[in-house]
Amino acid sequence: MVEDEFATEPFEVAWAGEARWFLQFLSEGAGEVSVRTQVSADGLVWVDHESPALSGPMRGVMTVPVSDFGHWLRLVVTPSSGDPSSLARVYLALKE
Amino acid sequence: MPTIDRSPDHDLASTLRTALRSADPQLSKFDPLPRILAHDDFNSGLHGWVELGGNYNGKGEYSSLDRHFRDFRPPQLSSCDFFDVGTHGAMSGTYALKLATRPYPGHTATGIRRLTMSGRGLLQIEAYLAYKAEAVVDPAAENGFGDMAWDGNSHPSEAQFGAFTVATDLCGDDGIRYHTVARYQNADENGNMLRQWKYPTVPEPTPREHYEGKVDLPYAADFTAPDPDDWQVYGEPQELCMNEVPTKVNWHYLRWVIDTRTRRNVELQLNDRLMDWSDVPVPIYEERYGSLENLLNFYFSVRSLSGQRNFLYLDSVVISADW
Repeated sequence: MVEDEFATEPFEVAWAGEARWFLQFLSEGAGEVSVRTQVSADGLVWVDHESPALSGPMRGVMTVPVSDFGHWLRLVVTPSSGDPSSLARVYLALKE
Repeated sequence: MPTIDRSPDHDLASTLRTALRSADPQLSKFDPLPRILAHDDFNSGLHGWVELGGNYNGKGEYSSLDRHFRDFRPPQLSSCDFFDVGTHGAMSGTYALKLATRPYPGHTATGIRRLTMSGRGLLQIEAYLAYKAEAVVDPAAENGFGDMAWDGNSHPSEAQFGAFTVATDLCGDDGIRYHTVARYQNADENGNMLRQWKYPTVPEPTPREHYEGKVDLPYAADFTAPDPDDWQVYGEPQELCMNEVPTKVNWHYLRWVIDTRTRRNVELQLNDRLMDWSDVPVPIYEERYGSLENLLNFYFSVRSLSGQRNFLYLDSVVISADW
């Protein structure tokens, strides 16, 4: 459930050359969310990736490509306005 | 007890297999039965090891999943990166399969491999594995946990690792379904070191039993057997090589044999400890299952009890059979 800000669990992606997040809202929320990618050198300490955050309404699918990301990725989802309650599914699609 | 003929000269084919295997750096560290069903070197991908998912309804609704089956986390291809050394790498090459729990007491991460049986008889899984709790870099952190306090040799991280499990899900012969399960219980939720091998005396609760209203387990329940009283200890404790701190990876050899003809355990080996498991009972479901004829699944799981993220790394896995 998207209610408060959350970050996905640390995920190791050193093998991948391409990455793309998909955030699929399974129920429509009344508010908006902002999503941003974070990277890490060790899976412990995280910093925002250079790519810009993406904002949008909580319906359908939001997607963000990521490149030059090093060895770890996570996605931070921040409800920004309105009633943020929505069931969402996060995919991280990776390719060599 | 079924016999495993490991003499190198019991027939010419065996001798040739042994000779060829010993010349192969990837396979010579294993001791497979005659037919290798899978050799999974995670430098070349996931090889079908995937998060164990519960059963959902025909609409694909998450709400239809058992709560304790919803969040087992997907396996990762890990380069074994750590804050102090950078990329550690696997035993062979760069990548290992990593199962990683959430930082939540009782949370389990799983990796399952789904096959079917083309015969009956001895079935073996071998793996090189390592286990770790997540490293801590925090001046305010505690310098001890449970039985383990930092003294230059002991490290609290060792007591923060709960358990890893290797198990099967098998079905055949008109829907007779059963699991064989071997668990290494490293520590309890308070960090008391146990280092025990365990096995459950009941079959795993299934989504059908949940659908029928027979079970309803909370999030982070022990999905293999939720009642601690349903676990029995096998033999004496075995100390493994966690190697002092959470950023050193030492690989352990695991070999486990079962017999799918008799639906029995056979033997379990972890490094130099060879354990006769022929008397370890295999609980069978009383009811028959459809849609699962010749089911042959292996899974590994890792369970955090401390609430620290727990990791199980698999460098490579070989599944073999004598049929």
